[in-house]
Amino acid sequence: MPVHDLGYRGWTGARMSHLMRPLVVARGGISLVWRRRWLRMMIIFSWLPILLFGVGIFMFEYSATEPGWGQVLGNLLAFQLQRPDLALSISADHAGSRHDVWATLILTFFRVPQLFAMVLLVGLIAPMLISYDLRSKAYLMYFSRPLSPTQYIIGKSAVLWFFLSTITAIPALILYLVGVFLSPDLSVIGETWDIPFRILGATVVLVVPTTALALCYSSFTSESRYATFSWFATWAMGFIAYSVLTYSGARMRGGPPQRPRGPRGRGRPRFEDFDAAQYENMASNMPPGLADIDRDKWRLLSPYETLGKVEGWVFGIDPTPGSVWPSIIMLIAITVGGLWIVRHRIMARLSV
Amino acid sequence: MIDISGVNKRYGDVNALTDVAIAVAPGVTGLLGPNGSGKSTLIKALLGLVKSQSGSGTVLGHPWPAKVRTIRDLVGYLPEDDCYIAGLVGIESVAFMAKLSGLPDTEGLRRAHEIMDFCDIGEERYREVEGYSTGMRQKLKFAQALVHDPPLLILDEPTTGLDPDQRHAMLSRIRTLSRDHGKSIILSTHILPDVQSVCDQVIILAGGIVRVQDKLAVLSELEKPTMHVSVLGDPAPLAAKCESEGMEVSTTDDGSLLIAGLVTIDQGDRTSKLWQWAAETDTSIRRYHRAKKSLEQIFVDAALTDPHVANEASDLSFLQSSTSTSSGPSPDKSVGA
Repeated sequence: MPVHDLGYRGWTGARMSHLMRPLVVARGGISLVWRRRWLRMMIIFSWLPILLFGVGIFMFEYSATEPGWGQVLGNLLAFQLQRPDLALSISADHAGSRHDVWATLILTFFRVPQLFAMVLLVGLIAPMLISYDLRSKAYLMYFSRPLSPTQYIIGKSAVLWFFLSTITAIPALILYLVGVFLSPDLSVIGETWDIPFRILGATVVLVVPTTALALCYSSFTSESRYATFSWFATWAMGFIAYSVLTYSGARMRGGPPQRPRGPRGRGRPRFEDFDAAQYENMASNMPPGLADIDRDKWRLLSPYETLGKVEGWVFGIDPTPGSVWPSIIMLIAITVGGLWIVRHRIMARLSV
Repeated sequence: MIDISGVNKRYGDVNALTDVAIAVAPGVTGLLGPNGSGKSTLIKALLGLVKSQSGSGTVLGHPWPAKVRTIRDLVGYLPEDDCYIAGLVGIESVAFMAKLSGLPDTEGLRRAHEIMDFCDIGEERYREVEGYSTGMRQKLKFAQALVHDPPLLILDEPTTGLDPDQRHAMLSRIRTLSRDHGKSIILSTHILPDVQSVCDQVIILAGGIVRVQDKLAVLSELEKPTMHVSVLGDPAPLAAKCESEGMEVSTTDDGSLLIAGLVTIDQGDRTSKLWQWAAETDTSIRRYHRAKKSLEQIFVDAALTDPHVANEASDLSFLQSSTSTSSGPSPDKSVGA
């Protein structure tokens, strides 16, 4: 018998509010996941792209005095990010283009490195959240306490919201702050004050539907590997399907898209070799298939493209054709449907 | 403490609970029934884990099922199933349950240690729950049920998987909680001696219907008050003498006498008369006490009223492995026959 064994004693303290119970579920889940070393490493690595995009903002801010940096950034915007208009406006109206350049860089930060990190992170965390509870029948422990299924789902979702925020919203906000501190003066805040809010909006767009979808897969099975496989398959198959359908459609209508060339038809292009009219010509010279293809129709097959469309809309820079509403409706449907399935699956388990 | 009625629950075409009405008084209540009799469904319905099609009442003074979440705050539940939160060590698991019940962080951890001491979980509390033995998991679930100091405990097969020492310790804890700390406990089990040793009242379910519900002391009374007398050697002369004095006498399998009518005689006279008759018949009395119906007998009588159970003898097979502590009459020997 332990030295301090006092036998049974009652407890008469004040209890926390019922509204705090989802927080307990969330904290428990976060603490459990945080013990995994690979996860901590992954989060550290997912912050590295901040350096790259921070350098981009720095180059933009000092391109007024260092034209060479403006050329490098212009080429990046024109040919890698498909924003030649923005590349041209850097030199034409440096201050006026600030908002768009920052927003484009931060959107790209969301769309490319962080979205891939998100897919990987959610794929490795989410299946554990509900699958493990189903396998170990932990739901009996949860629901014998004053916890409703809705609170349970909120608590589990909050685990993912927390980790996804650490790789999206927080680094993006830090990137914004880095931009502010690297700027020549603090007047840039007046021009870019809305970007932090757009970052938060884009985070919600990214985090909420993906969490619902991941928890939905997790609730389908007590074997977490099946949930993991389904998650990655959804992203991979969606992306492949979208790429194949749009590319093959373009090929059938007018051949493959042409890579942009320099003015003399050879060599690497430089954005300042083109003027606005030439960019318009490039667009009009695109193969007919690419120019008139209804990409919006196929976009809904790919969560990556659907999220990208809505995130672009949130940042106010959506260069792709088609309305954003089908994508928004699709994300809402995924969220509502996913959460409904999770709740239904949990209630079904309790009835056995 | 619990007073509910008209509880009906159907799973498809199967009636899991039919017009169940129970009134549970403070103390320890045994919930008995063969497999599939609806015990677990009744417990889950009480906790709001399954929704009954009808039924109402009060649990701990709160309207049921309207305030089921308030009720859950006041109930500690030990599920029959092997359930745990994967990845947590024992102490974290109990502290987590404390926090889910609303205890602040520090208090939850302190309380978890205190309860684990009470449940005799030593250094194992720092090991992952997945590596626990069945017995350890039972103790852990008991600690989780108790950590928030609920006035009502619902224990579903709490002694399953425990060795005799641990089982004895678990029953001792249940007795302590009920007797010294005023906890009300519902004990659902197949092990009848456990019920007999700790329960004040019994509810027997069969086929989703409450067959028996009363205090154990009342249920174990025989129809005719009877004394159980063990003698050294041949009991026939004493039996004949008792019969000649107007008593109804029968003999049990082990040669003891069941003497009806003796109990009605005044306590002092009863003893002196019995010793006098024994002296007259040259019989040595080894032991005598008031005969009671065994819980096993009560259970079988109640369960067999369900035609489905009566037709499936296998449902009662678990009774063969349970040892009765009662010295009451066997089912095929009626008093005074």
